[in-house]
Amino acid sequence: MAHLVNPLATPAQLYNLKSSSQLPDDLQEVVFTTTQCLTQAAGLLLELPQSTTAQASVLLARYWLVDSPMMHEFSDVSAAALFIVSKMGPLPQSARDIANVYAYLLSSQSPLLRAEKPTGDNPAEYYLSESDYYAFQNRILALEARILYALSFNTHVSLPHPLAITYLQTLDFLGLGDKKDISARVMQHLNTALLSPQMLYVTHQPHALATAAIYCAARDFGAKMPESAWWEVFDVDREELGFLVVGLMSVDNIMRKRREDMPWMNEGAVTRSKVEAEMKQRGLRVGNGTKRGNDEEDEVMRMMDSR
Amino acid sequence: MDRVLERTPEGTSPRTFALNHQRPKRTYAGCSRIADYELLGKLGEGTFGEVHRARSRKSGSIVALKKIIMHHEKDGFPITALREIKLLKLLSHENVLRLEDMAVEHPTKATDKRKKPIMYMVMPYMDHDLSGLLENPSVHFKEGQIKCYLLQLLRGLSYLHDKNILHRDMKAANILINNQGLLQIADFGLARHYEGPPPVRGQNRGEGRRDYTSLVVTRWYRPPELLLQLKQYTTAVDVWGVGCIFAEMIVGKPILAGESDTHQLELIWDLMGSPTEENMPGWKLLPGGQGLTPRPRTGNLQNRFRDAGTGAISLLRELLRLDWKTRINAVDALEHPFFQMQPLPMKPHEIPTYEESHELDRRKFHDRKANLPPAPKGGTVGIGPDANGATAGFNSDGYVRNGGAPNNGRFRDDRRPPWPRDRGPPPSRPPPGARDDMDRAPRPRGLPPRGGDIDTYIPSYRGEDDGRRRDDRPRDDRRPRPPRDEYRRTRSRSRSPGLDRRDRERERVEVYRR
Repeated sequence: MAHLVNPLATPAQLYNLKSSSQLPDDLQEVVFTTTQCLTQAAGLLLELPQSTTAQASVLLARYWLVDSPMMHEFSDVSAAALFIVSKMGPLPQSARDIANVYAYLLSSQSPLLRAEKPTGDNPAEYYLSESDYYAFQNRILALEARILYALSFNTHVSLPHPLAITYLQTLDFLGLGDKKDISARVMQHLNTALLSPQMLYVTHQPHALATAAIYCAARDFGAKMPESAWWEVFDVDREELGFLVVGLMSVDNIMRKRREDMPWMNEGAVTRSKVEAEMKQRGLRVGNGTKRGNDEEDEVMRMMDSR
Repeated sequence: MDRVLERTPEGTSPRTFALNHQRPKRTYAGCSRIADYELLGKLGEGTFGEVHRARSRKSGSIVALKKIIMHHEKDGFPITALREIKLLKLLSHENVLRLEDMAVEHPTKATDKRKKPIMYMVMPYMDHDLSGLLENPSVHFKEGQIKCYLLQLLRGLSYLHDKNILHRDMKAANILINNQGLLQIADFGLARHYEGPPPVRGQNRGEGRRDYTSLVVTRWYRPPELLLQLKQYTTAVDVWGVGCIFAEMIVGKPILAGESDTHQLELIWDLMGSPTEENMPGWKLLPGGQGLTPRPRTGNLQNRFRDAGTGAISLLRELLRLDWKTRINAVDALEHPFFQMQPLPMKPHEIPTYEESHELDRRKFHDRKANLPPAPKGGTVGIGPDANGATAGFNSDGYVRNGGAPNNGRFRDDRRPPWPRDRGPPPSRPPPGARDDMDRAPRPRGLPPRGGDIDTYIPSYRGEDDGRRRDDRPRDDRRPRPPRDEYRRTRSRSRSPGLDRRDRERERVEVYRR
């Protein structure tokens, strides 16, 4: 049984996220979704199976329930989550490979989250010097420990994807032709849910996510479903299903809207400094005055350590 | 699916049924702090970590805290530990050691930037490990007691196998026992998920599905197919270990104490007969079997265990079957007539209690620590050379230094440790040390073992027992060893190792009571 369930966020953790976070809701959503996009992109470039990347996304979501996203650079947390998950799986990735991929994704050459695709190829843009690499590696290792600690080593992630396949089979939706489209759409919904700023993977168990994804996919294609409350067979009640369906369907719209509100979102990966700039523009402050000084000191110490 | 069940077997509506059978709610919180535990003294220390006894301030229960040492921080948190923790968190069976919590110790001075926090695994405290218990001359297991332990061992193992987990380090030292007669399997540092269906009652295990690294299982408990380097092995490797442990409980010491892999095979042939196409089909085709022509013999199992009775012999014969494809599985072994015969298995509470005995208790670890062997590299748990091609582009990064390909297949003779040479009779009880893969890494013994290959982590209390074997080595062999073992300098070096150990053992007040 333990294999099929995930640890979920407690109400207190969710409350904390909203109340003690230094970010307004919309920025928080932007940070979450764009960072998850970054994780996905890195997973693709590292040629990791989607199951690995998805687990990294879930770990990251779990972690941000404990620590504020503003504590570390978003891309570092994303990279550390990928590092941990790949390490436990069949395809461990070296810090070096991960560093290279993130250097590329964060460079101006990467088409990720950019409205205008960069032209030409200038490798110098994403060349990673030795010292940059060591700095990156140190940050990742520190974050690895931090994440493991925050999660109390609950690194097992149960994904809804395999369950969804079983459910599709049960509903006789698995097969060729139209059925294939539905199955594919179910997987797409489940992967989209990873990006959802509502953090669906830490608020709902995999069986509920799988059921909701099937519901959405069936609706997308107008497939005929049983007349009865079939979701109850999969232990999902109407209310939970409704919530999840709305959640799954809204990801696209939310991000479209945020992009219109904040044009800087179309200029590559979202970083802490961009968020801070936006906050400043809105007249909000992040952290307190002394924070920065400490960071620099830390940085110097780290550089000395890495020698 | 167009029909809804109106009534469930329990006579309620499907909805009520669903509500009554809801999945458990789970959450997570951060780790405990070391301050949540009151330390009650060190139980022992090995190369792979310290073990402390402690009392939980929250629940009052006594626990064992095992420190996770970060040896090569370059790669971050040790991958073996990470995998073990993940596995343990998914397991729940009374005969499998439970991971209760993780505790963290922060450096006391905030200014000390270089010092990293230390992680501990929190596990229930168990009074004995089987190896330590058997080692005591005043402890003799009754047949009913052996049956009781063996039943629990098989139950735990069949649970693991049913969950698609290979333990890969079955040995007496990894079997923990408490004074309530409860037995638990510990040390999942080498465990991994296996592919293929779990063993089925009444069916032979058959062939393996895919390749795994054969650098697993402590030598004395290593099955012949691994010694012959079969890569597609199965759950049958753990069953062989159970056979060895069972026999060890009968005679009171390890039965197959091989000094090298070649010698280990000879001992196995002595016991079970030399391999033929009948008793071990396909053995000639295994990488290690090709150049081998063992002297024909029939095996002395019957003779060696004649005092144990026919039931025990018959079960041993099944557990220690040379043919891994037809070796009995844990589920079937549980139903072996041996357990139905008089004397019947004792109930756990009927078993006499003993003064706690850990190998670590006896502080043998002092000797042990001297020898930090090239530990189970990551390779042994799946990121190594033959981890199924999973390591592409990985070795190059120094991740698995020692696990690199050159290791493969040539570990037979060229790096056999020198200790067995001037040893008289086999050691009374140096269980084959720790993970035995250690003694195969291509590294001169005398050098300080340092470097990227140490995967630093052994979960059982007695962690590193390689040192016991060390005891039997000539002294000078371990002398020149740099700073790692400063602590040893304080001890006298003139005494003979054997004496030394025995003396200390006596000092440690080993009063065993019935």
